[in-house]
Amino acid sequence: MNRRVRELSERFGIPREVFDRLAAIEDQETVFVSTPEVMEFDAVRPMRRGIRLARIYPYSLKPTTFGMQVLGREATRNVVDVSDEQAKLLINGGALSTDIEADNGFVLIRWQGFVVGVGFYKRPVLKSQIPRFRPVE
Amino acid sequence: MLTRKFPLAFVERYSRFIPDFDAFLDAMQRPLRRTFRVNTLKATRERTLDLLADLKPEPLPWYELGFSLSDGEGLGKRIEHFIGLIYVQEAASMAPPLVLRPQPGERVLDIAAAPGSKTTEMSAMMQNTGIIISNDPSPTRVRGLIGNVDRAGCLNVAVCRMDGVSLGRAVAGTCDRVLVDAPCSSEGTIRKSAQALDHWSVAAIERFPSIQKRLILAGYLALRPGGVMVYSTCTVAPEENESVVAHLLARQPEAEVQEATLPGLVMRPGLREWGRESFPEAVGRCRRILPQDNDTEPFFIALIRKGDSSPHPSPLGGGGERSEGEEAAGRGRWRE
Repeated sequence: MNRRVRELSERFGIPREVFDRLAAIEDQETVFVSTPEVMEFDAVRPMRRGIRLARIYPYSLKPTTFGMQVLGREATRNVVDVSDEQAKLLINGGALSTDIEADNGFVLIRWQGFVVGVGFYKRPVLKSQIPRFRPVE
Repeated sequence: MLTRKFPLAFVERYSRFIPDFDAFLDAMQRPLRRTFRVNTLKATRERTLDLLADLKPEPLPWYELGFSLSDGEGLGKRIEHFIGLIYVQEAASMAPPLVLRPQPGERVLDIAAAPGSKTTEMSAMMQNTGIIISNDPSPTRVRGLIGNVDRAGCLNVAVCRMDGVSLGRAVAGTCDRVLVDAPCSSEGTIRKSAQALDHWSVAAIERFPSIQKRLILAGYLALRPGGVMVYSTCTVAPEENESVVAHLLARQPEAEVQEATLPGLVMRPGLREWGRESFPEAVGRCRRILPQDNDTEPFFIALIRKGDSSPHPSPLGGGGERSEGEEAAGRGRWRE
């Protein structure tokens, strides 16, 4: 298992089996994850393989919204469950003041059992890290 | 009663071969229903329908994951859409992947993929396994493709930005299935936008057959012997449909056109002649989806199998070609 993937798996308690049939590469400070067939494809060089899982910064690893939406479903740690209104606020780039059982740092925002994206928690403020793709109403 | 004014040339061309022509014109002037597809990469059909119960989705009679809405206003602004539980997609556009039937673990080429509705549909059909080589040559359109692949959670997609003909050559003889959803004059979009009718002309139609013929040959080249290809367009013009398939059959006589069927979806046979051109009998096995039959856009679908004895060219390239703008899409646009 790629060490960056292991780091994410450990922070969020995502079972390692989730990544068992996947492959990961690091390219330009980004971790990509995909099926092994996608990583092994070499007839041409694709501009994108699979999904961006995380950005690598000098002192942190920042999980991506879309990577966590698909691979964070089984997370058991550092996850925040939110209401409809809170989900909309965070998707639209807002922040919440909340006291939750989570370590400071990146957390997963979960609505109705689905990961909607990533937030940054510094007690008591949860700040959205979700890209402002389009407004949600 | 017609509320839109159809050009005389449009009426003259299509009244010659479209059955129930008045019903066709009537359907072409009606706005499309909003339709969407449940993305099983993210949730089960039942769970998603539970969340969308307030919209009262109506199932399409021919696809268990396709639904229509009487009022789809604001669908794209719902959380369910943001997290990829659903993909807003015209109903007829869901048909080509269903006819192609990609299987888990296969290698599939989607040669003209943007914005990605069919790539993401096939990804779900393949249960996020194997590989879909999803290509579009346009930098702008490929950005949308990547955005949709991300939102749908497709881990089995390699996005390329190449000329489709070069890509077909590079993966020659290696693909289990190929989708050539060709760029076309998009007459089907008349139901989405009145402006599409304003821009309609025979000259606009004549711009497309050349690239369509190159793409269908490239797609065929990419197939392994015994592999299966779907050629589709969202247009009515025979020059962009039956003529293109006939061109393939003339160049690759071992190509076999098969009848596409989707239980519950009414499809009509392909034409055997157009203007001065006569098409081989096999072209009659192509299928036309007409708007009056299923309340959709018009669509054309040809299901083609590569003969087992077809020459099996070696893949070219071997890493030599590079798709432009590697991982450029989205940079600066996403706050991640």
